[in-house]
Amino acid sequence: MPNFKLDGQEIPFEPGETIIRAAWKQGIEIPHYCWHPGLSTAANCRMCLVEIKAQRPMMLPILAWDEKKKDYVETTKPKLQPACQIEAAEGMEVSSKSKEVVQAQAAVQEFLLLNHPVDCPICDQAGECKLQDYWLAHQTKPKRKETEPVHKPKAVRFGETIVYDGERCIMCTRCIRFCDEVVGDHVLDMRERGNKNEICLSPGRELDHDYTLMTEHVCPVGALTSKDFRFKARVWFLKSAPSVCGGCATGCNSYVDYDPRYQRVERLRPRDNADVNKFWMCDAGMLSYHRFHQDRLVTGRVRSGGGVAEVSRAEAIAAAASALKASKKLAVVLSAQHSTEDNFVLLKVARDLLGASKIYLGALDPAKTGWQGDEILRHADNNPNRAGAVAVAGGPLEGTAALAKAAAAGEVDAVLSLGFAAEVDAEALAPLSRLPHVNLATHGGPLAQVASVVVPVATIAEASGTFVNAKGIAQPFQKAVQAPAGITAAWQAMTELAAKLGHEVAMKKLPDVRAAMPALPAPAGA
Amino acid sequence: MSKKVIDRLKAMFGDRILESSSLRGDDEVRVAPKDWRDVAAFLRDDGQTLMDHFLDLTAVDYPEREEARFDVVLFLRSMKLNHRIRLRTRVAEDQPLASLIDVWAGTNWAEREIFDMFGVKFEGHPDLRRILMYDEFEGYPLRKDYPIARVQPLVPYRQVEGIEKLAPFGDDEGMPFARVDWASRVAGADLPVSTGIGASTGQRKNLSQGAEYAGKVPVATDE
Amino acid sequence: MEPNYEDLSDDRELELPAEPMRINMGPSHPAMHGTIRMVLELDGETVVDLDVQPGYLHRGFEKSCERGTYNQCFPYVDRLNYVSPMLNNVGFALAVEKLCDLKVPERGQWYRMALGELARICDHLTCNSASAMELGAFTPFLWCIKARDYLWDILEQETGARLTHSFGRVGGMAKPPTDMFKESTLAVLPAIEEALAESELLLLKNRIFLDRTQGIGKLSAERAIALGVTGPLLRSTGVDYDVRKTNPYLFYKDVDFDVPVGHDGDNFDRFMCRFEEVRQSIKILRQVLDKMPTSGPVDCPDLRYVLPQKEAVYDTIEATIAHFKIVMEGLKPPKGEVYSFTEGGNGELGFYIVSDGSGTPYRVRVRPPCFFNLQAAREMLVGDMVADIVPTFGSVNMIGGECDR
Repeated sequence: MPNFKLDGQEIPFEPGETIIRAAWKQGIEIPHYCWHPGLSTAANCRMCLVEIKAQRPMMLPILAWDEKKKDYVETTKPKLQPACQIEAAEGMEVSSKSKEVVQAQAAVQEFLLLNHPVDCPICDQAGECKLQDYWLAHQTKPKRKETEPVHKPKAVRFGETIVYDGERCIMCTRCIRFCDEVVGDHVLDMRERGNKNEICLSPGRELDHDYTLMTEHVCPVGALTSKDFRFKARVWFLKSAPSVCGGCATGCNSYVDYDPRYQRVERLRPRDNADVNKFWMCDAGMLSYHRFHQDRLVTGRVRSGGGVAEVSRAEAIAAAASALKASKKLAVVLSAQHSTEDNFVLLKVARDLLGASKIYLGALDPAKTGWQGDEILRHADNNPNRAGAVAVAGGPLEGTAALAKAAAAGEVDAVLSLGFAAEVDAEALAPLSRLPHVNLATHGGPLAQVASVVVPVATIAEASGTFVNAKGIAQPFQKAVQAPAGITAAWQAMTELAAKLGHEVAMKKLPDVRAAMPALPAPAGA
Repeated sequence: MSKKVIDRLKAMFGDRILESSSLRGDDEVRVAPKDWRDVAAFLRDDGQTLMDHFLDLTAVDYPEREEARFDVVLFLRSMKLNHRIRLRTRVAEDQPLASLIDVWAGTNWAEREIFDMFGVKFEGHPDLRRILMYDEFEGYPLRKDYPIARVQPLVPYRQVEGIEKLAPFGDDEGMPFARVDWASRVAGADLPVSTGIGASTGQRKNLSQGAEYAGKVPVATDE
Repeated sequence: MEPNYEDLSDDRELELPAEPMRINMGPSHPAMHGTIRMVLELDGETVVDLDVQPGYLHRGFEKSCERGTYNQCFPYVDRLNYVSPMLNNVGFALAVEKLCDLKVPERGQWYRMALGELARICDHLTCNSASAMELGAFTPFLWCIKARDYLWDILEQETGARLTHSFGRVGGMAKPPTDMFKESTLAVLPAIEEALAESELLLLKNRIFLDRTQGIGKLSAERAIALGVTGPLLRSTGVDYDVRKTNPYLFYKDVDFDVPVGHDGDNFDRFMCRFEEVRQSIKILRQVLDKMPTSGPVDCPDLRYVLPQKEAVYDTIEATIAHFKIVMEGLKPPKGEVYSFTEGGNGELGFYIVSDGSGTPYRVRVRPPCFFNLQAAREMLVGDMVADIVPTFGSVNMIGGECDR
């Protein structure tokens, strides 16, 4: 591989790669604002200027202060090049720490902050803001301008999800390029010139495509903020857990940002994965974290007599055990919304220990929920783990409608189901309501409505697991917050249920489950 | 601080001086634990260093450095030549280090404190016990893996050999104040108690009751 | 033991107990300043051995410093030698500035000297008058405490608090001196000198005081040096070691003062050293107040480490960002270690700071002068009597906060 030198270090690069990208691949950051590995190069921020040693460097005439003469003198300095635009060449010597580069970085930083509003205390970006970080790293001095900063529109509504602040904007055009290149929708553009520049919407339009929250994600400053996260939490209180989005079968990699003091998930962020989602996530996925804390089942439910009684989780498991004890023709419903580990242990207990022979799959029907896939990231199937459930079962599975038919025909005398998802609604599942039916779920759904016992289980933010996406890539996700009191992952609840039925399952921890699972395609990406 | 000390040490000990530095004018050398006592004694006795004034001995914990997690640092000064040196060594978790108590008497308590806070043992120390924490304390608080808010187990009352210490007062011994039988009082019992004490501790509900007891010896209040 | 009614002319030996008696003194004891436990082995009244057990005021200062930022260490540092908190503040600030290579402007340095000397006077007045009180001389105690109160009024005017000021900052002080600082301090100094003179008048010709302090609690210079003793305890043995003279910091080399030195190393020498040091501190203070510029910045203007002025924080984004970074992430000194030492009330107060480049200190070690001074107490007291423990221990000036941290 050809190499070039950056500050004395050899950096390999692919032909055609720019300096900044080659350095980024090695984990070295050249300070930048407008460059993004997933977008085209704009080279308008000038923060990534580097000095490239050449035989005949281009020199610029400048006036420099001469300490001895106490006056400005004419001299020259080498012209610096933007590292995001210059392609690396074999043997090139690049310096990102020379005296001129340090001066240039300080100067660019001073310019960017010239008219910046004093918004840090109320700006969501504080704590993850490049202006703050680069000011401390490269500038550290007050600015030399004493006039009133230029005022621009603030808190401009760009759409249902995004708010724009003109004064904070540094005109890097990342948002414009994102909408153009990734979404293919030219809804944002820049207007005016010079220090009156601002980002504007296409006339008559607003940010309404499915990836609007990504404009907030690419914005390096607090100009674009998401209404969902605005003023909700300060980022330095948040911890991140690597996770996978549970919105559809693409399985975009994400970070779950949660506040450990309150054990609440406050937002999701995309995680880079070149093979799955590159750098992006769709709005539905970004907002899917609300489900972790809304409408949760936190207690067990047992149907007795005419009504449904709320019981503790332990009582629910005991009731589940007695419901399934006498079953001879047990049917199992796996869930395309639950992790492979949950499905695996459920099937193992049901099939191997309880003799279940009929296996079905509970999954959401995209048509019923109004979900539409697209060419960018959203898969047509809005279930994250259909492939995982099918791999665990070892073959294609029918849906819950078929189960209802089998129950009506008397071929099933008990049901053990996982998850809230079913492609039909509760009326269609009416034949199941006469049978002993144990449903392990995070939220109420058609299956819980017809179940005789409901056991609460943990969501993907509360228990680690694996999703297999539509391309067949198995992606692990990690636990972030503690589940509400006493609630465990579905697979753990299953081992307790099995124990109550007299079967000891030798899987106490997640690595045991993963060791026992059938081999899945190796996870790819970061 | 004086670079001459570093040069003298390097001249005498050669490559037993593993490292030296002078950040911000603080001269420092690092030696291996086996050379700790020799170099320290040399620093005290040598005519060109004359480090007779012991200043401080402390430790720093680097838990990621598994092979030698503690840095033990010695600060010395010369009264006559007014120069200073910092001597450092690295010890592993269960590795004892030679005590410097016979080189400078002041290292006695400093080594006890390092033992107390970090768990580093010093060979040759006559009395290596905890100094700042109580004897029954579990763990070594200044280690990085000791959480600041750990709750220690309750310790039973300690009997010290050789000291005739009375056990805490039993229920019917000692001064009668502040021994309120709350269970009875909450249940409504009106306990007989001497005037002065009962009034101040609120054990007597009825002030007139005191008259009966005037002049009598106070009675123990519990059941 | 049976009552001994035998006639002493009898030839039989008197049966007296042969083993020494072990007695516990402290930690809750009126004469144990702060809290110290001493387990005494007594042969009659004579101290055969004593085991000094500190640690009753251990609050985990060093561990707490690892849990915040550098500026958040100032309240902790105040509570070390809590009778002279400004000296601790100044010492810690100097240590971090040494690591960051910061230069505090002239006015800030003079201001630190002035407040430090005020604190030193408070420390010595407290120590000496409390020792005198324990010997029965209550009046000098009240006079010196009244004098100390005048100083606390000045410190309250300057810093906002009488005792635990938390006034030091890395790179300067929390606020510049008030307009009345010079006048009010100069007005108070004669009262201090008067309290000193009157107390000496009462004590220095008093037979009881002299008998109980002279020749008691002796320490030799060689032992003191080997034990790591510093401060008035060391100077009373005849060793002329004062950090302000041997390694001058701030502007101590530009002021003229003497270092009082004793010769016997007994309680009386320590007492006199401290009173003399108060006089020298007053001399230093007069010079400092004369030389301190009346205008100019007190804080170093380096926004990487020093908090900007609030007016700038409200007006400019750079100051806001600097304020944000220093408060939320902590100022980030370069990676490395540094040991910085000043003359505290009890001796060489050193701060050994290990930085890993982040905003949180990796390790803050205080070299506590009275910890090592207290170690010498055993040698000073063995051979003396129980009653001598009180003045000797008082003259060591063991401040629990500094000894135990």
